[in-house]
Amino acid sequence: MRLLLAAWLCAMATCSAGERKIFPYPWDQQDFPNGLRLITIPTDYPNVVALYIVVAAGSRNEVEPGKSGFAHLFEHMMFRGTRQFPPARYEAVLKAAGAASNAYTTDDHTAYHTTFSKEDLETILAMEADRFQRLEYSAEDFRTEALAVLGEYNKNSANPVSKLYEVLRDTAFDRHPYKHTTMGFLKDIQDMPNQYEYSLQFFRRYYRPEYTTIILAGDLAPAQVRELVAKHWGAWERGDYRARIPTEAPPAGPRANHVNWPSPTLPWVVAAFRGPAYSDAETDQVALDLIAQLGFSESSQLYRKLVIREQKADLLEAENPDRVDPYLFTVWARVKKEADLDYVRDEILTTLESFRARPVEAERLERAKRHLRYRFALSLRDSEAVAATVARYVALRRTPETINRVYELYEKLTPADIQAAARRYFVEPGRTIVTLAGGKSQ
Amino acid sequence: MRMLPPMLLLLATGLEALPRLVTLPGSSPLVSFRLVFLTGAASDPAGKEGLAALTAAMLAQGGTRRLSYQEILEALFPMAVSISAQVDKEMTSFAATTHRDNLEEFYRIFRAMLLEPGWRPEDLTRLRDDAVNFLRVSLRGNNDEELAKEVLYNEIYAGHPYGHHNLGKVSALEKLTLEDLRDFYARRFTQANLVIGLAGGYPEGFPERVRRDFARLPAGRSESLKLPEPSRPGGLRVTLIEKETRSVAFSIGFPIPVRRGHPDYPALLVAQSYFGQHRMSGGRLYERMRQLRGLNYGDYAYIEYFPRGMFQFEPDPNLGRRRQIFQIWIRPVEPDKAHFSLRLALYELDRLVRLGLTQEEFERTRLFLTKYVNLLTRTKSAELGYAMDSLYYGIPDYNSYVKGALARLTREQVNEAIRKHLRAADLYIVAVAKDCGELRRRLLAGEPSPISYNAPRPPEVLEEDKIVERFKLDLKPENVRVVPVGQIFE
Repeated sequence: MRLLLAAWLCAMATCSAGERKIFPYPWDQQDFPNGLRLITIPTDYPNVVALYIVVAAGSRNEVEPGKSGFAHLFEHMMFRGTRQFPPARYEAVLKAAGAASNAYTTDDHTAYHTTFSKEDLETILAMEADRFQRLEYSAEDFRTEALAVLGEYNKNSANPVSKLYEVLRDTAFDRHPYKHTTMGFLKDIQDMPNQYEYSLQFFRRYYRPEYTTIILAGDLAPAQVRELVAKHWGAWERGDYRARIPTEAPPAGPRANHVNWPSPTLPWVVAAFRGPAYSDAETDQVALDLIAQLGFSESSQLYRKLVIREQKADLLEAENPDRVDPYLFTVWARVKKEADLDYVRDEILTTLESFRARPVEAERLERAKRHLRYRFALSLRDSEAVAATVARYVALRRTPETINRVYELYEKLTPADIQAAARRYFVEPGRTIVTLAGGKSQ
Repeated sequence: MRMLPPMLLLLATGLEALPRLVTLPGSSPLVSFRLVFLTGAASDPAGKEGLAALTAAMLAQGGTRRLSYQEILEALFPMAVSISAQVDKEMTSFAATTHRDNLEEFYRIFRAMLLEPGWRPEDLTRLRDDAVNFLRVSLRGNNDEELAKEVLYNEIYAGHPYGHHNLGKVSALEKLTLEDLRDFYARRFTQANLVIGLAGGYPEGFPERVRRDFARLPAGRSESLKLPEPSRPGGLRVTLIEKETRSVAFSIGFPIPVRRGHPDYPALLVAQSYFGQHRMSGGRLYERMRQLRGLNYGDYAYIEYFPRGMFQFEPDPNLGRRRQIFQIWIRPVEPDKAHFSLRLALYELDRLVRLGLTQEEFERTRLFLTKYVNLLTRTKSAELGYAMDSLYYGIPDYNSYVKGALARLTREQVNEAIRKHLRAADLYIVAVAKDCGELRRRLLAGEPSPISYNAPRPPEVLEEDKIVERFKLDLKPENVRVVPVGQIFE
């Protein structure tokens, strides 16, 4: 098997004219007449198969007022069973397969994932097909599950970072659903038990083949997988709903907000700028990825200054997540003394300004590109990780090829591209700053 | 069976040359390192709690003789490698995975970090701050669930070498000096304590080269730590941590003499998985508490130390311990349901002890574990970690050990092990909550704690609730303590 696969990999490499693609595995991509897409990725990790079912609906699709958090609540409801597989039977099948199974919801997508032994492939595929097509739950189950979601909010609420995310988004956005977190506004979560009918509508709208991509990675033969998916998922009926996602107005900041944390904690400063959407064709988003590395990673000058030399902050990092719609470039810093909050904020803003003022050195840029390449290679450590990575990108462009495209963009990026992106996005109207400080010791 | 001290087991495996080496060659372009020193927080001297952890931090997050920490970060950056240090009671491990392209460059730095530490005062200041902030802020301030779990361990092991958090105590950390750290390093980071693990696509001869390099460490002698079996509390012992928080997080547990290699380990593994497999639906507790009653986000059970469970689905390797506890994790519940939730958890534990598993439950759980064990070792780095732990526990590789034992296991053996090792009225309870005075009053008064639902429930659930809401918790006032959160880990 291993030898065979190695030969196949070579063949693929030749096909693509000797180009070195970042995503090292060949894949099989199949579109079914109902709109469902299947991506099969044979890997050389033996015995185990990882399945990710990605539904292109997340909290971004929560467009109606009072309904924030519904994509995530729905993720919970998907474990409430069907006629053929009530929860206890569903669990029993997973147990018999020794499967690790879970799900998560993001802004743009919801993913259901299961890792199991290859001999259970058909069993799992059939059972998953059943719940995606024939989910059925009572109003009572719905109300109970809504409480589990509140329980999830509660367990998150001990951490100030959850609160910071809530306030940051609420402050930075006015119309777009990115205004709320995936958990949703607390008042909406508390009202969830009363929204049974809406939950059924949510299922009818989005749990449809044209919104769904099945990803399988592991010890697999694509032809067999195609056949199984056609058998169990082929009759799933296509839907016709298209959400109208409100567009956020152009930035009109700067904005600021502050959180008083009720118990003792270290203060935080979060500086965010409205950024671009994910793209594998335009350079802005990948340019901001590089700025996150160059400006704020452990090897950056600012980290050296604030964390290592002056030791005023104990955590500094920037995030620039890939989103379907324009989102935020955000720098996070946890500060040791409240009196240093302004200083750390200004250091962050000065650093961002420096990317506007002058092009980065070519040598530093090359090192950051190398970092991203190796970080990606190191992340593919087993079939589960391969499927998980592909799921993230599939939610954006529905094919693993987008990974290759985006890494090709990284390679081509010039210091001028980076400066141009900084000038476009690190502007006062797009800025939101949120700070948090804790209460007194008990 | 009496457990041999780990070093004897290691010597018994025939890997005489020091330091010992565990290798798992493979064709992957990735190379994983795991260097495990058989020393840890249990070896912290009294008054110097945190010494092992701070020493390890100075190696993994400090400079070498030649390179400052910043220079190390810069050198590692293009390779995208990070080095993680994990300090537990009896093991200190350093793990990293690099791409084969960067093996030489990475190894040169990694080796220097472990063999030629720089001991810079500014690194100590930063890492001491990190440790104190971890205890005070990340754990005490921002993670009620992990806080409850760690305090549970501290309560169970009070007065024992395991009796403080792995990162130490704030008051002790504040006094540790570079000399303390250098001394600990010289005495504990020895060839006798070291096991080198390598996995993946390293070149031929590489493991021997690593072994020769690390033979520069002092030969040393194996640790001779006395680790008495802690006693049970002899009833219910409750610690309520007073904190400004939305909900109530519980951790419940008691010591068990069972660890990998013990004849009852496979049986308790089945019991634990049936009762509450980590972060999975379908465990008994999860089903009764979350699925049926919507009390919280999840409820699980453990027979081995499993830190950071809220962030990960599988446990990290290299947390080998000679002493373990049985533990129940009740994720945060609404304050008005806290009393009921505690009662329900103990009611279920009591039921488990009384009834054990049915044949069907036993078969189902055994089948699950027989396959699930493959998932624990699906990365090369995890497989390597488990192999090193198996050496420590003196068992064959973990997968064969578990599968072999499960194949021979019977339902009667599981239920016998449950009756022998588990108890529902002789244990420690820790809760993190607001208004602990009131919670204490309610617990001691022992009044019924009925709950209401937002939707009709099946009659059998309501019937059971009537029993649960009166389930007797035999509590004495002197055994229910309220501790302000600010005192924890100080």
